[in-house]
Amino acid sequence: MEKKSRRSFVKALGVSIGAAGVVGGSSILNSCTQVASTNSDTITLLTSSGELVKVDKSQLKPADLPSLSENQKRGREGLPGRKFVMVIDLSKCRNARQCMKACQNHHQLRPEQHHINVLQMQDAENTAPYYMPKPCQHCDNPPCTKVCPVNATFKREDGIVLIDNERCIGCRFCIAACPYSARVFNWFEPRDAEKYEGVTYNIEANVPQKKGTISKCLFSADRLRDGKLPSCVSACPNGVYWFGDQNEDAVTNGTTHETTSFSKLIKDNAAYTLMEELGTKPRVYYLPPKDRAFPFQGEIDQHHS
Amino acid sequence: MKKQIILTLVIALMSVSQGFAQEWLVPDDQKTLTNPSEYNLSNVKKGKDLYIKNCKSCHGDPGKHNGLPLVPAPPDVVSEKMQNNTDGELHFKITKGRGGMPQFEGTISDDDRWRLINFIRNFDPSREQLLVDAPPKKAKLLASVNEVEKKVEIFAEVESANGSFVTLTDATVKISAKKAFGNLPIGEVLTNADGRAEYKIPETLIGDENGMVNIVVQLDEAYVTDNVVLDAAKVGQLKPQPKLIKKEILWSTNENIQTWLLLSYLGAVGAAWAAIAYVVFQIFKIWRLGKE
Repeated sequence: MEKKSRRSFVKALGVSIGAAGVVGGSSILNSCTQVASTNSDTITLLTSSGELVKVDKSQLKPADLPSLSENQKRGREGLPGRKFVMVIDLSKCRNARQCMKACQNHHQLRPEQHHINVLQMQDAENTAPYYMPKPCQHCDNPPCTKVCPVNATFKREDGIVLIDNERCIGCRFCIAACPYSARVFNWFEPRDAEKYEGVTYNIEANVPQKKGTISKCLFSADRLRDGKLPSCVSACPNGVYWFGDQNEDAVTNGTTHETTSFSKLIKDNAAYTLMEELGTKPRVYYLPPKDRAFPFQGEIDQHHS
Repeated sequence: MKKQIILTLVIALMSVSQGFAQEWLVPDDQKTLTNPSEYNLSNVKKGKDLYIKNCKSCHGDPGKHNGLPLVPAPPDVVSEKMQNNTDGELHFKITKGRGGMPQFEGTISDDDRWRLINFIRNFDPSREQLLVDAPPKKAKLLASVNEVEKKVEIFAEVESANGSFVTLTDATVKISAKKAFGNLPIGEVLTNADGRAEYKIPETLIGDENGMVNIVVQLDEAYVTDNVVLDAAKVGQLKPQPKLIKKEILWSTNENIQTWLLLSYLGAVGAAWAAIAYVVFQIFKIWRLGKE
């Protein structure tokens, strides 16, 4: 009983405390993982760095957790003035699959569900095979959003295509419409469903996932709001991903954190987009797998005979 | 059952250790190659730039042993594991790569690969280090933006032997612009004999919605100084903000429907109902005529 009340207490407060004197340097503790004991005036909290600190109760104030409806509203609007773009350098990919792992952790995906998937490609019989990470292409002319009968999936002004799991009725029209097979369906209870019980739904992360609805790559819109790079981009150990704002004409590499001009990068390397003949206008650009840093080590079936 | 599990474990372990413990064999003719690139300051410096760009993300800073925790671990440049290689072995390994180590055959030229080895050898304990990594000197950096002439004015001083600050000449000052996820390098200037430098901001630089740019000015790594961040200087072009979503283009739902589509749909529905009503009315009329 006591345990339950503790948990709900932390959940309700989402504790954020001003404890400048207690924890040297950082003035705000915003992620307390556990409440150890409660007194009348002070409360002992475990900080994210593993220290126990005593904090006066009066210093605690509830964090600004946006409600579901606010979340959905701001999730539809997007970040003002931005137009996010991703560049994937195929010459750097060696199938480390850290992007997929980070993505599945972030978006509560089962092992067989992929917002981003690293594919083994071979364009023609005699050409060299290569690895190709394939996220949602966040098309500027998306076929998927147009077929949704309930306006659950939509395109934002900052370029991102999102889905609202609260609205989705699971008809899977969008899966049929998407030429890139970028969408996944929650056929089963999502991974770690019990862990996310009672968590407010975040439209910018599709968390918690809902059985019987669609989920898709979101460019980690919740992380972008905090000024961080998407999970897959930050997780890559090989410098495959560049991500940035097309309006600013700058993209940043997730591994080296080097920033460069977007237009120069795609021009110098003869970048291309996938299936541009469909008129979807993708926001994900690929740099060709030329001068590869790693040899291809997978096996590829010969479908070209 | 238990035996089986243990057996599979042993086999799995063996194969894993075999995979990693395998010697990285270098052909004999490669092993004995000597470095054609001369061991001098300029080559070592070039090697250092190459190292920072291509190797540092895994091997870490030389001497700090902060490489990525990969298996097998990428050795630090100063480590014996690295330095016990002959020049030829290093060259072969950089060229061909193996497992987690990329092959740089196609991405770094042969000359530059040898320069990288020049840089690695700079950390050879049996050799006297060249002054590439002289202890960083304390420096002061002042900068301001001239919004009218669109240039950055820089003044740099360095701590001299007796502790006082004197003007810093011939130092590279890097200028970059803050972007959404990092700093975009836009140019470099050298300080003159007075320790001053001017950098003309390119016309093409894009700022935010109001043309404001956050400019970061920094000295190269040989000096310890705080980077100067010049907040919101009106020197850039206005950030273009083309509308991405045209109104009424996504029309599966009422909210985004196009007017012509809505009208023709409602018209068709109305016409269908009118036709039905007409038929019903005619039947009613016939029924009434029949009654008379």
